[in-house]
Amino acid sequence: MGYGDVQMIDENGNRIDGRKAGDIRPIEIEMGVVPVADGSASMRWGTNYVIASVYGPMEAHPRKIQRQERAVLDVRYNMAPFSTTDRFRPGFNRRSREISKVTADALESVVLLELYPRSKIRVEIEIICAEAGTRCVGLTAASLALADAGIPMTDMVVSVASGKINGVVVCDLNKEEDNYGAADLPMGVLPNTGELVFLQMDGDLSPSEFQEAWDYNMEAALKIHELMKEAIANKYGGAQ
Amino acid sequence: MAQPLVPELLRAHLTELATRDQRADGRGQWEGRELSVEVGVLDRAEGSAKVQMGDTIVFCGIKFQLQTPYPDRPDEGGLMTSAELRPLAGRHIEPGPPSPESIEIGRVVDRGIRESGCINTKDLCIIPGEKVWQVIIDCFAISDDGNLFDAFGLAAIAALHNATLPGERFDVGEDRKLPVNKTPIMCSYQKVGGRFVYDSNREEEVGGDERIHITLGEDDHVHSLQKGLKGVFSASEFVEIMDAAKQRCAELRKIVDSL
Amino acid sequence: MSSSGASDGRTSAASGSLVIPGDKISSDTSDQLGHGVIKLNGELIATKLGYLVEKSGEISIIPVHTAYFPRPGDLVIGYIEGMRSNIWFIDLNAPFNAILPMSLAPMKVEYGGTRDAMDVGTTILCRVQEVDEAHSSVVTMKGMGLRKVNSGFVDTIPPHLVSTISSGSNTIINQLKDASNCRIILGANGRIWVDGEPDGIRMVRDALAFVRDNEHSTELADAIAGQLANGNGE
Repeated sequence: MGYGDVQMIDENGNRIDGRKAGDIRPIEIEMGVVPVADGSASMRWGTNYVIASVYGPMEAHPRKIQRQERAVLDVRYNMAPFSTTDRFRPGFNRRSREISKVTADALESVVLLELYPRSKIRVEIEIICAEAGTRCVGLTAASLALADAGIPMTDMVVSVASGKINGVVVCDLNKEEDNYGAADLPMGVLPNTGELVFLQMDGDLSPSEFQEAWDYNMEAALKIHELMKEAIANKYGGAQ
Repeated sequence: MAQPLVPELLRAHLTELATRDQRADGRGQWEGRELSVEVGVLDRAEGSAKVQMGDTIVFCGIKFQLQTPYPDRPDEGGLMTSAELRPLAGRHIEPGPPSPESIEIGRVVDRGIRESGCINTKDLCIIPGEKVWQVIIDCFAISDDGNLFDAFGLAAIAALHNATLPGERFDVGEDRKLPVNKTPIMCSYQKVGGRFVYDSNREEEVGGDERIHITLGEDDHVHSLQKGLKGVFSASEFVEIMDAAKQRCAELRKIVDSL
Repeated sequence: MSSSGASDGRTSAASGSLVIPGDKISSDTSDQLGHGVIKLNGELIATKLGYLVEKSGEISIIPVHTAYFPRPGDLVIGYIEGMRSNIWFIDLNAPFNAILPMSLAPMKVEYGGTRDAMDVGTTILCRVQEVDEAHSSVVTMKGMGLRKVNSGFVDTIPPHLVSTISSGSNTIINQLKDASNCRIILGANGRIWVDGEPDGIRMVRDALAFVRDNEHSTELADAIAGQLANGNGE
């Protein structure tokens, strides 16, 4: 079945899960879900369920990975075997490697690595249940886990994707929309400055569609940032 | 797994406590940590469970695949168990290919399930000689504060009881509950400070010695045993922990069967 | 989180509010930047998750979690992790290990005799002597009370709680010493050495577990006093 063959959005602009074009899926955030970690967070985002944990900063081993002037960020994105409809076979995977790398690149842009020469900070992202947009959920959850671990950063990272279905630009694609969608634009946004640390795109968007998707992502990032603040305040209280 | 640094003081302290019949966290010799078991927690798995024992947290997800049966057993399906110790779950767990430790846990959990006969592989037959189900049990650690063996064993059997064969999705008939006839339960004992204790936490694991894993089925039938880590134990010590295991396995079986 | 402070999205430094990395901060009175606060493009920015404090002209953040960072003069509890012929490598629960040269050991050691003097797994009381730009750090065991520890037990709390349990008029540590009859030494790196009867050690460990679980309670010291009075190590 080709693009646009399946009706994903009705004449009133309602998507199959009842959302309007600019709406995001429901999000639930919980801090400190891995008791043995230095910092951790989980995100339920639609039916995505992602857990991120952080260990460190710690002595970097082996010595050859040490950087004399800053810490190294060791980021792993991984899909649990039961996270997908057909079992996801554990082991080396090119897609996971690429996502781990661009996630590390994004986080290195905000973490104050120069404060920890010769050390290593480990960031572990596990996709427990995958719907669509797991790289965005993983990156956002990782920034929450880093904050929880007390790692200094210039800003949080909020990541969200917009795309196109049936010729209509929509925000935060769910699984069905992602399967039949004609484009996908995931971005990683710094909510306080509006700068980007992560950007990918595939598909086909006209200049005006691209602008619309970009704007949806920016708006959604600010909304998600508010939810992140709420979740942190729930755990740590408003003031001391 | 990285070899943990074992401070000498830890071993000495655990020994001192053992001579007084005490444990560092105040538990009795055969007492487990606070336990919770939930089922149906993973949206993409056909059966699932979450087990929490103190600060140890694990998931288990059941997935099914179609396969061609072996020629010598044309009407029997397959069973596979794997345990993943991802570095998410602890500072001491290193990234990389499956460690010997994770392979050992997966195989010990597998033997308990397989040998108990709780899954009759003939129940997994769809078309003899052509199409059978393969059951895949994936154990996954979220937080390792010790005794992943028992947490995985419990999560695995609870998830199996929760599982549905996805006939419709694979176009081989209707969905139906996976038949699970028995409830094998694993209990693990580790020598800490010179005596065996049940359900060692991470501190006891680091400062302890050998471990013995016992899987019992209904009527105390023994289905799997494993001695792991460095250390020696006597026949009388084994009798003692076997008695403790009979009691604890029965308690845990009640919990799983009531879910 | 209620946006306490100015309507321009900045959190007032005087508010004591919870901030997260990236939050903009405003202050009418302070211009010194302390822990967790930086100036970026003319704005004061929080870099850590924690509570804002303003004291004698300085704005800083009390983080909810932080790693131990060695500073010269700190009394710390270390574990020997390895050695060469003339130095030991010391685990300090920090982002980088420290070295203890043979010359700063508490006993006379021949070249090549480091292992006989103190083997891997030995617990030591030592002091941070030096931390350089590249985070090479040196500890010493020359000094009053610095030594190899042969008895008792070492527990750990998150390093950011060290000041919580050692500040105030009747510190939590002093309460624990009195109630448990144990000798207690608190390392700046969050390791706590406790020596005494096993029941006393148990009492201290239970209290420290309570501190870890209730770190955000404002009446922590009172709660500990209550726990020590009731529980009595049972």
